[in-house]
Amino acid sequence: MKDKIRIFLDSDLLEKYLLGTTNKEETLQVERYIAMYPKVRKTYQELQENLEAFAKIHAVKAPEGLKMKILSTIRAQNIGRRKSRRFGIAATIAALIFAGSSYFFWDQNKSLQQENTIVNNRIMNLEADMKQQLEDVRNQFIVLNNPLTKKFYVNGNNKAKDLKAVAYINPVKKLSYINVRNLPNLPKNQCYQMWAEVNGEMVNLGIIKKIEDKDKLLALPYGKNAVSYITIEPKGGNSSPTVQNIVANISY
Amino acid sequence: MSILLEKHIVELLQERNDKAISLLYEHYGDTLYGVAYKVVKDAELAQDVLQESFVKIWKKSDTYDSSKAKLFTWLFRITRNTAIDKLRSVNTKSDKEIQMDVSNVYNLGIDSIKPEFIDVQDNLGKIESKYQIVLDALFFQGMTQQEASEELNIPLGTIKSRLKIGLRELKKIYGTSVMLLPLLNLL
Repeated sequence: MKDKIRIFLDSDLLEKYLLGTTNKEETLQVERYIAMYPKVRKTYQELQENLEAFAKIHAVKAPEGLKMKILSTIRAQNIGRRKSRRFGIAATIAALIFAGSSYFFWDQNKSLQQENTIVNNRIMNLEADMKQQLEDVRNQFIVLNNPLTKKFYVNGNNKAKDLKAVAYINPVKKLSYINVRNLPNLPKNQCYQMWAEVNGEMVNLGIIKKIEDKDKLLALPYGKNAVSYITIEPKGGNSSPTVQNIVANISY
Repeated sequence: MSILLEKHIVELLQERNDKAISLLYEHYGDTLYGVAYKVVKDAELAQDVLQESFVKIWKKSDTYDSSKAKLFTWLFRITRNTAIDKLRSVNTKSDKEIQMDVSNVYNLGIDSIKPEFIDVQDNLGKIESKYQIVLDALFFQGMTQQEASEELNIPLGTIKSRLKIGLRELKKIYGTSVMLLPLLNLL
């Protein structure tokens, strides 16, 4: 053990360590020896004292003003560091705000785009509907305004005296419409249904809904010597007209 | 320096209070300037070295570990290494530029007749020059004992013994003054 310490002290590792010129491994070795062996520790302590004494002997009066120069350099660096730290914090906050607002705007943009698609689709549907309706109105106007169009007043028979309807028939254009103006009330389990006999065939024209159909022109299939009927049918309509329940008929 | 004052300075350093630098300069400024001067042998360069060293001391203050080295040892290491680096960079530069007007020898000639240098010479005169050379080579020139042996053309064994005797002689000189230092600090 003593030999080990002697060999260590004979090497110049401790002196190198004192001056701070040992490499990483050497530093660890020296620090281990200092920690483990009191003799090494004492020698190191002495070396430090000697170094300080030796250096003090070589002290040279530093030039006037150097102290102020050094202090102002350090203070300037301190302020710079503080400033840059402050700037760093500010930059971080700004980045966070930017990231947050970016996400917010991105999200808003996404939902706006979705909404835009929905609105566009709705507009397109409305446009299509409108065109369709306009087309219908135009056709109706052509028929109604045509001098060759005949107007028939239809009244109900005994079973529905208050039934009033107007039929418009144009043999040239081969178009016919009916406007049911008034329908007598029916028990809840019954309804009015329209039919047309065209070229020997009975066509179901559907149920007449009382209120909605009041101002509406209903297109009738055109045929020579065709007959339209309105019948009373069980609720929900029937597949073929009940002949004894015919309340009105229109021949054209 | 008194242990209390040293402790106080270390605390200030760790609190990042720049008063520490002021106190360090008051107590070690001249000694560290001497160290820098001894290495670079030029007053202007030594000032640069001292300034750079204090900036490093300030920046590295949180790395100082009092269990591993005395405060002065730590300060000395930083200053000496800064000075050696400076000298290297200046030498590389002057090798390229060949600037004769900043000759180190010339400056040393002027500075060595300054009064403070005479005091130093007086003190050093008390150590025999053969020991001084060895101490100088090891403490300031940054040579290892092996390098000093080769550089000074002295056998390694002689270097080792001269180092030991030199240090002993040194103790004799500063022994009394070192004892007085803590008292001086109280004044």
